[in-house]
Amino acid sequence: MKRIDATIVSSEELWDGAFFLWVRAPEIATVARAGQYVMVRCGEGCDMPLRRPLSIHRVSRDGSIAFLFAVVGRGTEWLAQRSKGDSLDLFGPLGRGFEVLPASGNLLLIAGGMGIAPLVALADQAVESDRSVTLLIGYRTASQIYPQSLLPSGIETVVATEDGSLGTKGMVTDLLPEYIADTDQVFACGPLPMYKKMAEMTDITNGKPVQVLLETVLGCGVGACLGCTIETLNGNRRVCKDGPVFELKEVVWDKIIAPAASGGIDNANLV
Amino acid sequence: MKTPGLSVQLAPDNRRGLLLANPVMTASGTFGYGAEYAEVMDIQKLGAIICKGTTLKPRTGNPQPRLVETAGGVLNSIGMENIGIEALVREKAPVWAGWNVPVIVNILGESAEDYAALARRLDGVAGVSGIEVNISCPNVDAGGIEFGSSPEAAAAVTAAARANTTLPLIVKLSPNVTDITSIARAVIEAGADAVSLINTLKGMAIDLVSRRPVMGNVSGGLSGPAIKPVALHMVYQVAKAVKIPVIGCGGIATAGDALEFIMTGASAIQVGTATFSNPHAPLDVLQGIEDFMKKEGVSQLAELIGAAA
Repeated sequence: MKRIDATIVSSEELWDGAFFLWVRAPEIATVARAGQYVMVRCGEGCDMPLRRPLSIHRVSRDGSIAFLFAVVGRGTEWLAQRSKGDSLDLFGPLGRGFEVLPASGNLLLIAGGMGIAPLVALADQAVESDRSVTLLIGYRTASQIYPQSLLPSGIETVVATEDGSLGTKGMVTDLLPEYIADTDQVFACGPLPMYKKMAEMTDITNGKPVQVLLETVLGCGVGACLGCTIETLNGNRRVCKDGPVFELKEVVWDKIIAPAASGGIDNANLV
Repeated sequence: MKTPGLSVQLAPDNRRGLLLANPVMTASGTFGYGAEYAEVMDIQKLGAIICKGTTLKPRTGNPQPRLVETAGGVLNSIGMENIGIEALVREKAPVWAGWNVPVIVNILGESAEDYAALARRLDGVAGVSGIEVNISCPNVDAGGIEFGSSPEAAAAVTAAARANTTLPLIVKLSPNVTDITSIARAVIEAGADAVSLINTLKGMAIDLVSRRPVMGNVSGGLSGPAIKPVALHMVYQVAKAVKIPVIGCGGIATAGDALEFIMTGASAIQVGTATFSNPHAPLDVLQGIEDFMKKEGVSQLAELIGAAA
């Protein structure tokens, strides 16, 4: 991992409050893997002492990386106001990313809303290695969706919306039974209720390996401060260093709590 | 001019001594066991590393959330999650024994007997250069701050550790007290070689949506730039009141911050929360101190210690 000053190549608001940012960061781009993240320093001076973790959303061969993030607090609000040519202080890549098993030819990716962020990087990686990818995406409503044009070509995409305005009406987890049969390995990123629901669907996942990307407030990003520890069946694990990707069955879901929703606290914006 | 003299002796009255190549240490709890940052910076250039607070038995720590950002600060309530003294001696100390940088072990107990046992276990362990006696953790129910809030209890815990080790002893003081100088005097009387201050200030934050405290453990300890003026004044008070080395800690993010503490009377400083926003903060601080001394024609750090007090 490295701390670097990266220049913003482009910044675009994809829909209300959702931003798509490319930065030039060859030191990170050349080594980053899907599921890893970068700690972004936000604000001026010592205003915000905690960096914001953002998943690697895309990696380009020319040495740039992309982030996709929602404005959910002071840090991301500041980040949303940056524009082309501005410098960003990045620290990464950090954490343990997704691990695609060598024998996994058919991958099922499940995204809940902004959870699409790290899964696009994984889809890119999978397509490059000639794997078959099915991506299930759940959105609240049709007006807040990730543009189909930005998704890698050659993957199957299925959409569900909570209000039925696009695709199947319902939650993304409702699609799981229909698409899991031919799948070798499942990868998911989304809000906590989605993971808890998936953890209950053991008769559906039926022993298939499922990896999920967890978000929580992170302090150091290198496993030193223990601010992000979660309880797993194998004892305490650090989201920042041992994760953020965990096996679904390994996490003690009753003990995981969602980050606070108010107060402008957006340290938890990993996805 | 030639390279300024940055070395500092933190335990002049101890037989072993605690000689640091420079005054920049990493604060306990923010730097793990040191190796976590080996990929990020040359940790061997640090004055000393103070490891995560260690108890007799391993601890799993407090419920999430454990970290909350506030204006210019961070509230933490880790709750002393740690691997326990046996695992530390078995797995970490042998690694440290091969390092140039001295490692100081921060210890925390629930009774004077615990501190005695911890000090005894560390005595003579290769790779351990000193002990920081933690009597100021605000995030555990038993022990910690409870020993740091009365001069008698602070002295009893320090004496228990002192009687069981020849290692240099630093006692880390709490700011959550009425008169920090009385605690400092008591632990010196009981055998402390140096004092470090301050630990975090007690604080909390509320989540408006759930109408509940944000932190899993209700309250936490505040660190970061927000507490620097408070820490600085306490270092000023203690440095005036005692004759042993004082180690300044609390919101130090830049060389300028560190120099303020040194001029106020600190012989060394600890960088903690700043490492989260700037992973190179400890070495940036060190470089900045050296640059300042060169620019100002200061040949020895000692010339600056207490210059403003």
